[in-house]
Amino acid sequence: MWGDADTAIGGNRDRFPSTQVSLIEAAAGEPLAMERVAALYWKPVYKFIRAKFRKDNEAAKDLTQGFFAAALEREFFQRFDPSKAGFRTYLRLAVERFAANQHEAENRQKRGSGVKFAELDAASVAGAGSAESPEEIYSQEWRRQLFALAIEDLRAECESAGKRAEWDVFEAYDLADGERPSYAALARRHGVAETSVTNYLAWARRRLRGLVTDRLRGVTSGERELREEMRRLWG
Amino acid sequence: MGLSDSVLRHLREVVDLPDLGDTRYELQEEIGRGGLGVVYAARDRQLDRRVALKVMDAAWAGEARLIARLEHPGIVPVYETGTLPDGRVFYAMKLVAGARADRYVAGNPPLGERLRVVQRVGEALAYAHSCGVPHRDLKPQNVMVGRFGEVYVMDWGVEGVAGTPAFRAPETPLDERSDVYALGALVRFMLPADAPPALSAIAAKAMSNGREDRYPDVDAVLREVERFQDGLAVEAYVESTWQRVRRFARRNEVLLWLLAAYAGVRFFLFFVRSF
Repeated sequence: MWGDADTAIGGNRDRFPSTQVSLIEAAAGEPLAMERVAALYWKPVYKFIRAKFRKDNEAAKDLTQGFFAAALEREFFQRFDPSKAGFRTYLRLAVERFAANQHEAENRQKRGSGVKFAELDAASVAGAGSAESPEEIYSQEWRRQLFALAIEDLRAECESAGKRAEWDVFEAYDLADGERPSYAALARRHGVAETSVTNYLAWARRRLRGLVTDRLRGVTSGERELREEMRRLWG
Repeated sequence: MGLSDSVLRHLREVVDLPDLGDTRYELQEEIGRGGLGVVYAARDRQLDRRVALKVMDAAWAGEARLIARLEHPGIVPVYETGTLPDGRVFYAMKLVAGARADRYVAGNPPLGERLRVVQRVGEALAYAHSCGVPHRDLKPQNVMVGRFGEVYVMDWGVEGVAGTPAFRAPETPLDERSDVYALGALVRFMLPADAPPALSAIAAKAMSNGREDRYPDVDAVLREVERFQDGLAVEAYVESTWQRVRRFARRNEVLLWLLAAYAGVRFFLFFVRSF
């Protein structure tokens, strides 16, 4: 439900555990580290590349895929120094360098072969007409993807724990795009008391917060960076 | 389908709201957001009064309890601490009505009043330091001047807090000596544009980049400010002879007037007797 056809090559998210170790532990040999990073960052990176380098959908997908493949080969985690920048910034700067190099190489090739470089029309550029900078788009997509993954975790947890009613109420209210139903209407629809709706929502939000924290823990270097990212997420 | 901007905005808002169902408090509105957490206005249902509720990450629990033990007229009293169902910690404290120091200064109060605020802040800091608790994020936004003139230092920092650039000492980690730097920055902030150079010098010395070049502790800063208020020379400022004479004259104004009057009378009598 929370996937996106444009960016559907980010890997199978169900494989990622909900209780996650930090990136430092990951760098020490935890094999799912890059997949966990890709699950959260694939889409923000893709959107960032589209906005920053004005790439169309396919070119941006290729660059994004190329970046994560190169990151795997080039000891990406080992080079990360938490004392210099947070992981999110480190990754964005790495993407910027990678995409700029690729972009330049591509242009050189086109110039060399006498092919005229065709600029994309504005309509095909992600973020065109938007006042947001590529960096803001990157941050916003990071937030969006973090919540999307945590919501998937929540749904899986509700299914395995027999909390179907909690999920249904949460989905109907907190995930409603547009006008939200009243608690009374939700209670009638699901055949529960209105206080149960309040309790279900409180539980689901609490769990979602915990799952967001777990996801973040898996892509930060330790408690300090985790707290800073939490602050940025809610701030 | 991805999450729309409006759903994302809604989730960020509701997921961050503290679940106060098991407490005596009823959430009202957010009144502040800082490095350590979020402060809400809430109603205490049992006592039917408004309180400030600070909600923080569970990682701060131990130090939050330490801060809650500080009892001083310049530190907002904590009524209760607790843990929310999601593991975050909170403390309920007095909701202070008044103005933050930055807004207070914008009202252009007289120099004496500004220095009184600095003194009260310094006393609260010195007390906390004596309990082994540095502030780590002292700035005008964390000083509240109440409507009865009371001064509170708020938002006590904990280990690992980032501080605020203009008030943050260059060293890491931040400690009591870093608070001396921040107090100097606060003095500088509180001074009017035409402040006496001796006060600016006190602020500059407290804000030295080298820790050893600063005052050794908050009390030393306060003593310097007091010396200035008493018309005495301050350690941080080397006066010219003319400035020293003027300061002496100002400090001993009454005595000098009495001496002048005495000399005048003696002079008058000398002439009367001569004729």
